[in-house]
Amino acid sequence: MSAMRANHGHRRSKAEPVSLIKCLTECGRGEDVEVVSVNAGFNARRRLYNLGIYPGSVIRKKKDAPFRGPLQIIVKGTNIVLGRGLASKIYVRCGESCTFD
Amino acid sequence: MSCHTPNNSHKKNDCDSEAIINIALAGNPNVGKSVIFNQLTGLSQTIGNWPGKTVEKLEGHLDFLGYHFNIVDLPGIYSLSTYSLEEIVSREYIVSENVDLIINVIDATNLERNLFLTFQLLELKVPMILAINQMDILRKRNIELDFDELENLFKLPVLPVVAVHGIGVHELLERAIEIIESYKDIDYKFPDITDISSFGKEIETKLQILISEINDNYPHVMDYKYPARFLAIKMLEKDEEILNLINNIENVEPLLAKTTQFITDLEDYHGEDINSIISSEIYNNINQLVEKVITIKKKKEMKRRSFADKMDHLTTHSFWGYIILFLVIFGIYSFTSAIGNFLGTIIDDVFSLWTESIYLSFGEENLLVKILWDGGVGGFIGAVAGVLVYVIPFFFTIEILQDSGYLPRAAFLMDKIMHVLGVHGKTIIPMILGFGCNVPACAGCRIMETKREKKISIALTSLIPCAAVMTVVFGLVGRYLGLGWVLLLFLINLLVILIVGRILNKTMPGTCTELIMEMHEYRKPNYKVIFKQTWLRSKEFIFKALPIIILFGISLEIILMFNVLEPINAILSPITFFWLGLPAITGVFLIYGIIRKELTLVLLALFAENLGIAINIFLSPIQMITFSLVTMLYIPCFATIIVIAKQTSWKYALQITLLEISLALLIGGIVNFSFVFIAGIL
Repeated sequence: MSAMRANHGHRRSKAEPVSLIKCLTECGRGEDVEVVSVNAGFNARRRLYNLGIYPGSVIRKKKDAPFRGPLQIIVKGTNIVLGRGLASKIYVRCGESCTFD
Repeated sequence: MSCHTPNNSHKKNDCDSEAIINIALAGNPNVGKSVIFNQLTGLSQTIGNWPGKTVEKLEGHLDFLGYHFNIVDLPGIYSLSTYSLEEIVSREYIVSENVDLIINVIDATNLERNLFLTFQLLELKVPMILAINQMDILRKRNIELDFDELENLFKLPVLPVVAVHGIGVHELLERAIEIIESYKDIDYKFPDITDISSFGKEIETKLQILISEINDNYPHVMDYKYPARFLAIKMLEKDEEILNLINNIENVEPLLAKTTQFITDLEDYHGEDINSIISSEIYNNINQLVEKVITIKKKKEMKRRSFADKMDHLTTHSFWGYIILFLVIFGIYSFTSAIGNFLGTIIDDVFSLWTESIYLSFGEENLLVKILWDGGVGGFIGAVAGVLVYVIPFFFTIEILQDSGYLPRAAFLMDKIMHVLGVHGKTIIPMILGFGCNVPACAGCRIMETKREKKISIALTSLIPCAAVMTVVFGLVGRYLGLGWVLLLFLINLLVILIVGRILNKTMPGTCTELIMEMHEYRKPNYKVIFKQTWLRSKEFIFKALPIIILFGISLEIILMFNVLEPINAILSPITFFWLGLPAITGVFLIYGIIRKELTLVLLALFAENLGIAINIFLSPIQMITFSLVTMLYIPCFATIIVIAKQTSWKYALQITLLEISLALLIGGIVNFSFVFIAGIL
C-alpha cells in the first residue's frame, strides 16, 4: 500500500509508522511482531492459542533452521519451534524494518 | 452449589480411615516436575502405562508425618485440551476419584505460559497447591515474586521451591496435609476466585446460562465428574472429547444448539474464532495477575551472553549444528558399545569358564545340563551380556541428553529432512536413540503426537543400526575389508530407511503434521537425577523385557539342542546359500541373531575357530558384506519386536518384522548377485 502511494507522488513523514501484514516466515528476525491471524487446522490452531500465539499477542522470530526448515520463535519468554508450513499460516503485523528473506 | 464436586465427598472417607493422601503432580514439560517427584518418592517409583493408553504412568509412594502418600507424576502438558493423549489422560485422571490434591509445578522463569495450565486446572476445582520452581534462577535475574499476594489472589497455598536442591519440596506435603485435614469433617469447597479467573462479560454471561442449564436440566452430565463450569468452557471451545461425552446424555440437543448459537454469537462479536477469544482472555487474566506479583528489581549486565545461549546458538547453527549432531550420535554409539563390549566380554568369559567346569563334572552330553545350563543359565547370561550391558550405559546417555535439553535442537535441525520421510523433526529423537539401542528408542516413539507418526517413527527407528549391529559390521567388514565398506553398508542402510519412510508416508492414511515444540534453555545436567532415572529405566527393562528375552533364549536353545540344526539349515539353504550366496550354516547364526544381533558374529567366529580357519577365509569378502548387510536389516531384535507391539499392536509389530525380513533378503540378494556379476566381469 505504501509503495502505491509513493508511486502517486505522495510523501509521508519518516516518523509515520508503516505496518505490513506478512506471514511469519517472511518477517524479519529479532523484531517484535503482533499476531493477526492463525489459519491452521482446528487442533494446531487451538494448540498455538494455548501456547500464547493468538491474534493480538506479540511474538518474535529468533532463528530460521537451515534449508528452509522450521522457525524458532519467542512467545511470552519461551522458545517455541514451529514447522515452516505451519508458520506460513500465521500472519503477523510487522514494522518497516521487515525484510523479505 | 456446583463448587462442590461429587468426587470430593467420596475421597474424604478414604483419608479418614487410612490416612492415605493421593497426589497428582501436574505441570508443563521441563518444569522440574520429575525432579520433585524423584525427591519425594526416591526409588519407590514404578513406570507403567495408563490403562489402555500408550502414555507412560509414573507412580511412587512415601510415608511422611504419619501419612501415606501415593503420588502420580502426570505427563507434562501445556493445556487441558485434546491436542495430545497426555492432556486427555491428565484431565480424566484429575477428576477421577483417585486424586485428593493436585500439586501444580510452575517454572518461575516462565510464569505466564505455565499459569495458562494453572488457570485450567483451577476450573477442575480439585484442592491444589502451587509449587513455584526454579526460584533460585529467578532471584539471580533480580526478579522478585510476592508469594503473599499470590496466595491472596489464588486463595490456595503457593510455595517457592528449588527442586534440584530439594528446597521446599517437603513443605509441599506439609501444606497438603493441612488442606486435607481442614476439610476432614466438612465438605470441601473450592475457593471462589472469580475475581482473577472470570472471562469478559460476553463469555461469562453465556457460561452462566450454560452452567445453570446443565445444573437444572441435565443432572446426568455431572456423572462425568467434571465441574459444570469446566464442561461449559470446553463445550464453547468445541472440545471433541467433552462434546462426545455430552452427546451420550438424553435429550441433550437443546443444550448443544444453545452452545452452537453462543459460539456463533461470540465469534461474530469478537471477530475471532472462539478458541482464540478464550485463550486470549485467559492470558489477559494471567497478565493482570503477573503484574501484581512480580517486581523486577533492576536489570543488570544482560549484555553478556550466557553460556547456555552460546551453546544454543552453536547447536542450532546451520553448519556447526550438524557437526555436533553427528558427534552426539557417534558419542552415543561409541560410549554404549565400548561399555557394552567390555562388560559383555567379561561376562561371557566368566560364563565359558563356568561352562567348562560344569561340563567336566556332569559331562557335556548330559541332557539336563544342556537344558538347564546351556538353555537356562546360558539364556540368562546371553540376555545380560548381550542386551543389558548395552541398555544401561545407553539409558545413561539418553538421560544426559534429555536433562541438558539437547534433543529438541536435533529435532529443530532435522525437521525439514524428516518431512521427506513423512514425519516431523521430533522423530529424529528416537532415531538418534536408536543408534544406542532400538529397544528403548522404539519405546521413546511415544513422544509422537499422532498414531500415524508414531507408527512411521517406530518403523524407521527399528531400522537404525544399533550398537550391537555396528559391532558386527565393524568386527567383520571393518576389520577385514576396511572402513570404506562400512560406510557403504551404512549408506545402504540409510537408503533403506529413506525408501521405507517414503513408502509408509504414501501408504498410510493422513498427512504429515507440523512441528510444534518447546525448546527450553540448556541447563547443567543434575547427576543425581540422571543416575536415579538410569536405574529406574533399567529396572523397568530388567523386570519387563529381560524375562521374555531369557525365555525366548531358552526355548531356542532347547529347539536347537535336539539336533534340528541340520534340518533348519537345509530349510533355509535356498535363501542363505542360493540367494544370498552364504554358507548354509549361517542360517542358524541369523536365527540366533534375533535374540541379540551381535551373536551372529560371535557364532560365526566360534564356528570358524572350530574348523580351524580364520573368518576371512571361511567367508569371502562378498559374503562378509552380504552377511553384515542382512544382519543390519533383517529383523528388529526380539526385545524390539515386543516394544513395538506394546507401543502399537502385535499386528503392526509382525508387519514390520516381515517387511524388514523381506527387505533384508531382497537387498542382500541384489548386493550378492551384483557383486558376483561384477566379479565375473573383472
